[in-house]
Amino acid sequence: MITQDTLIGYVRTALPDAMVSVTDRTGTMDHFSIRVVSDGFKGKGLLDRHRMIYQALNEPMKDGRIHAVEIKAFTQDESR
Amino acid sequence: MSEQNGSIEETIKKETRENTILIYGKGTKEAPRCGFTKETIQFFEKYGYPYQVIDVLNDMPKREALSKITNWPTLPKVFIGGEFYGDTDILDEMEKKGEVKPLLDRVFQKK
Repeated sequence: MITQDTLIGYVRTALPDAMVSVTDRTGTMDHFSIRVVSDGFKGKGLLDRHRMIYQALNEPMKDGRIHAVEIKAFTQDESR
Repeated sequence: MSEQNGSIEETIKKETRENTILIYGKGTKEAPRCGFTKETIQFFEKYGYPYQVIDVLNDMPKREALSKITNWPTLPKVFIGGEFYGDTDILDEMEKKGEVKPLLDRVFQKK
C-alpha cells in the first residue's frame, strides 16, 4: 500500500514539473492507473517514457507497496 | 551463475526470433494467471495473427534476465518481430495512432 501523495512524490523525483493524476484501480492502494504530464518526455518514445516512470517508482515496486501501475505519459502540448 | 545466464539469454534470443508475436507472461494462453497477461492475449486476438505465450511465472532467473535485457520491470513483456514493445500500455497507445496493424502486416509479410 502507498498513498497517492507518496507515489506522486516518487514520480516527481525524476520529473519535477510533472502533473500526476492517480486512480486506485482496486481500492487496495497498490494497483494504480497514473497519468503523467511532463515536458521531461519531449523527444522520448513511449517505451522510454514508461521506463523513466518505472525507474522513479523502482523502490515502491520492488518492496511491493505498488503491485501494478498502468501508465499514460504525455508532454504538456500532447495533454492539451 | 553467468554460464547459466548465458544459456537463458540464448533461449530468449531463440524464442523471440522464432515467434513473430511473443508474450512472456504469467500463465498460459489457455489459462492466463494475471489480468495483464489476459489483456495482452485479448489484444492480439483482435488481429487474428498467430501469437505465442510463454509462462515465466515461476521462472525467476528468466524473469530477471528478461527485465535486464529490456530494462522493463514488469510482466507481461511483448516482443514483435524480435523487437521489444512493452505491454498493452504501449500497444494501446500505438493502436490509437494506427501503428499496430501496419507493424503486424509488415512482420508477417517477411515470413
